[in-house]
Amino acid sequence: MKSRKNDRLQPEVNRLGDLLPKLVVPLALLALWIVVSEFRLVRPIFIPPPEDVWKSFLGMSALLPHAILTTLAMTLTGFGIGVAFGTVSGLAMAYSKAVRDFLGAIFDFTRPVPVFALIPLFILWFGIGRAPQIALIALGTSVVLGVTTMEAIRNVPPIFIRAALTLGADRRKIYTTVIVPDIVPHLIGAIRVAAAASWGLDVAAEFMGSQAGLGYLIILQQTYLRTAGIVILVVIYSLLAVLLDTLIARLEKRLTPWTERRSSIGVVASIVGNA
Amino acid sequence: MKDSEARSDRDAVKIRIEHLKFSYPDKQVGWVDVIDDLSFSVYNHEFLTIVGASGCGKTTLLNIIAGLLPQGGGQVFLDDREIKGPGLDRTMVFQDDAVFPWFTVHGNVEYGLKISKTGREERARRVAHTLELVGLTGCEGLYPRQLSGGMRKRVDVARAIVTRPEVLMMDEPFAALDVMTKENLQEQFLEIWNETRMTVVFVTHDLEEALFMADRVVVMASRPGRIARIVDVPFARPRLKDLKTFPEFQTMRRELGHVLDANRGQVA
Repeated sequence: MKSRKNDRLQPEVNRLGDLLPKLVVPLALLALWIVVSEFRLVRPIFIPPPEDVWKSFLGMSALLPHAILTTLAMTLTGFGIGVAFGTVSGLAMAYSKAVRDFLGAIFDFTRPVPVFALIPLFILWFGIGRAPQIALIALGTSVVLGVTTMEAIRNVPPIFIRAALTLGADRRKIYTTVIVPDIVPHLIGAIRVAAAASWGLDVAAEFMGSQAGLGYLIILQQTYLRTAGIVILVVIYSLLAVLLDTLIARLEKRLTPWTERRSSIGVVASIVGNA
Repeated sequence: MKDSEARSDRDAVKIRIEHLKFSYPDKQVGWVDVIDDLSFSVYNHEFLTIVGASGCGKTTLLNIIAGLLPQGGGQVFLDDREIKGPGLDRTMVFQDDAVFPWFTVHGNVEYGLKISKTGREERARRVAHTLELVGLTGCEGLYPRQLSGGMRKRVDVARAIVTRPEVLMMDEPFAALDVMTKENLQEQFLEIWNETRMTVVFVTHDLEEALFMADRVVVMASRPGRIARIVDVPFARPRLKDLKTFPEFQTMRRELGHVLDANRGQVA
């Protein structure tokens, strides 16, 4: 019974015993929130009471669909461009020394630079609008993917390449049938990190002076000190981030049915720690 | 194949190695000679095993024949064509697990055929036939992670023989397996070889394995790698694993052990 459960990719959470500990923290926080606001322990401007948040949600609900779509479109576009550009340049860097020397220098140069510090320059260069915002998100994510792709290629076991060589594969075939499939599972981790980062980049990008989107709404709420509105927008951002992450995790299972995931995190914990 | 035909065909040289040298640069001692002035031939349809202590250059030799390593001097010929780089006429089974985890059993076995652009129907036919040979019929759709070590080795062998190479090279293919699996695979591989009669160059450090499988055993001496002796193996085929317990077999194994010990060189 236990071993069967361990073979699962994801532990079962349907059972009450498993679910309960996971709910303790959120429920406790909710209770604390209610208590704090009922007894006026903190001024509502810092932590608004639940009913204010609800009212603010109703008040904003007309604006929200458009703002969510705007933000979603921008983040996903920037994230998509960043992932594609990063992966392709990582592959190209591993393929050709000339590309490696050229792009590698750019990556080495830009990687340590805090992307957010570039915001004023971006505004100066590209003006205010969608393009610089998307560029910022794309830049932040492509650096992560470029470096990870090259590292993953460096870690491809040479035996697979030698095996392919003896079976007649040329350089291009080795790329498409050995290197790319081997690195995909490694890239998924980086893509998830990049996805999480791209929401942060989007907030920053929208602070750059957009006229639409969730980040713009946050700035608006801040201007009028509507804390309840900020809480709503943060929650929406979190939900979107979780949604995208879940989607990528689902996609991973589709894309890499061959990977060995015999042990869930629970199995590892039961060996090295207290399960 | 008729007896006389087989014999004349067998006298033909398949691989000719002449004055082969290989060395690599080392920071401390300058150049390390791995192989020095090595010459011998492998006959057509022969099962040749190479034994030697670790570090005698037997794997290096195999890699040079495979075209994965450039020789440092001398020449290697396959049917009078000099070997320059890898080719589908020589495939290899490695010691380590080299089955591609991202392809199914079918995808793995099909790999070389796809690269040589074999037609779809022919591919399906050959894959099915080869899987039957190695005893993996019914496993086509499985991924390597779902197979045992012995089964993965069968996939490896199938992938290497499906293209009908002229020479099959095997680098301690069964060394990582448990004794029972190993003995079964040895016997079954001999059966496959009896049917296909490929030229096989089989590297091992296991004397019993070397004798059991081979027509001839090449004993290599270490540092630098060179030939200590070439022994003809007289036992009739087909061979079954009981052969290993016969006194004649044991005597030969002992003698081979002495040759090997005498040529071990000063290895720490």
